Amino acid sequence: MGEMEQMKKEAETLKTQIEAARKAANDTDMASAASGVAPAPRVQLKTRKTLKGHLAKIYAMHWSTDNRLMVSASQDGKLLIWDSHSGNKVNAVPLKSSWVMTCAYAPSGNLVASGGLDNMCTVYNLKTPVIKTVKELDAHTGYLSCTRFLSDTEILTASGDTTCALWDLETGKQKTVFLNHVGDCMCLSLSPDMNSFVSGACDSLAKLWDIRDGQCKQTFQGHTSDINAISFFPSGNAIITGSDDCACKMYDLRADQEVICYQDAALNSGVTSLALSLSGRLIFAGYDDFNCNIWDSLKGEKVGVLSGHDNRVSCTGVPPDGMCVCTGSWDSFLKIWN
Amino acid sequence: MDVYCSNNVLQARRAVEQLRLETELQRIKISAAAEQLVQYCQEHRRADPLLTGINASSNPFKDKKTCVLL
Repeated sequence: MGEMEQMKKEAETLKTQIEAARKAANDTDMASAASGVAPAPRVQLKTRKTLKGHLAKIYAMHWSTDNRLMVSASQDGKLLIWDSHSGNKVNAVPLKSSWVMTCAYAPSGNLVASGGLDNMCTVYNLKTPVIKTVKELDAHTGYLSCTRFLSDTEILTASGDTTCALWDLETGKQKTVFLNHVGDCMCLSLSPDMNSFVSGACDSLAKLWDIRDGQCKQTFQGHTSDINAISFFPSGNAIITGSDDCACKMYDLRADQEVICYQDAALNSGVTSLALSLSGRLIFAGYDDFNCNIWDSLKGEKVGVLSGHDNRVSCTGVPPDGMCVCTGSWDSFLKIWN
Repeated sequence: MDVYCSNNVLQARRAVEQLRLETELQRIKISAAAEQLVQYCQEHRRADPLLTGINASSNPFKDKKTCVLL
């Protein structure tokens, strides 16, 4: 038997073992376990601010840890820093490449990052008298789909080259490359304790990675198309994913499997983005059909909708204090709701 | 589409190594995991502004009505 044949055989055996172990743990689902919980109230949020300023599709947004400033990225070739309380623009960062797909705010508030079809992650210092590019992280061989700062000295990236990477911002080099996906990586989410992160990819899998040893620890299957959005549940024990298959799913890390699926027969648009409320009870999921649907994470029911955009909702974000939800759209506007 | 299969030997080897690792995982029952997730939501629900609602005076995003002195 050739090596490929042997490996295929072993892979099948191992997969069967894993499925059997998951089945043994599958004694209920989330909705049944939450049957005694009072339903979430019908959620009716109002648009409190519409942020106008971008001249083209908005692809990404990210809140600062101060709960007030946020950064947005548009294919008009700019990053805009907004004061969400006043609705004013605080800063504009012109991008070398307008094909931006992601942006991030450092926890310190000192730095922002962006990246996209240029295959690079560019880091800017907001605190110098004139905003300066501090690093261009250049090693990915595919587009940059997502980036998140761990601190002012470390940043994570997810790329269309199927890898994720941890970079040292002082040297500008990759410290660790996370290699296991077989499709473009589309999104990532850092665990609350910052020791691990999860990634979603076009291979329809979500993977949990140990940041320090670079290992893929767990793989979550179930989606039937690209996973565009991913987020840790605030306790750190579960993750939520959103996919082009029009569904969101919650996977529990310790049960190592899907525990609930958020979908509706009437919904046939892909999920582009998602964010959770502070307690994790509400999931705000942005869709290609211009809406953001609100799901009760425990019961799997739709409890509200944010309608108001005139094009695809491409990004959503809830600030750390949970006081609102921001949606960004291809219609070039950002809206703040609560 | 079987996402673990590939003609590429290196990729296949990597896939098998990953599967060996994942087979070792200790899993807990969904009932136990779900109970903890429910507990977390319940414990934090009062502190979740989007769940409880925010009153107008403490909403930093709500436009304050301007006062006019006559």
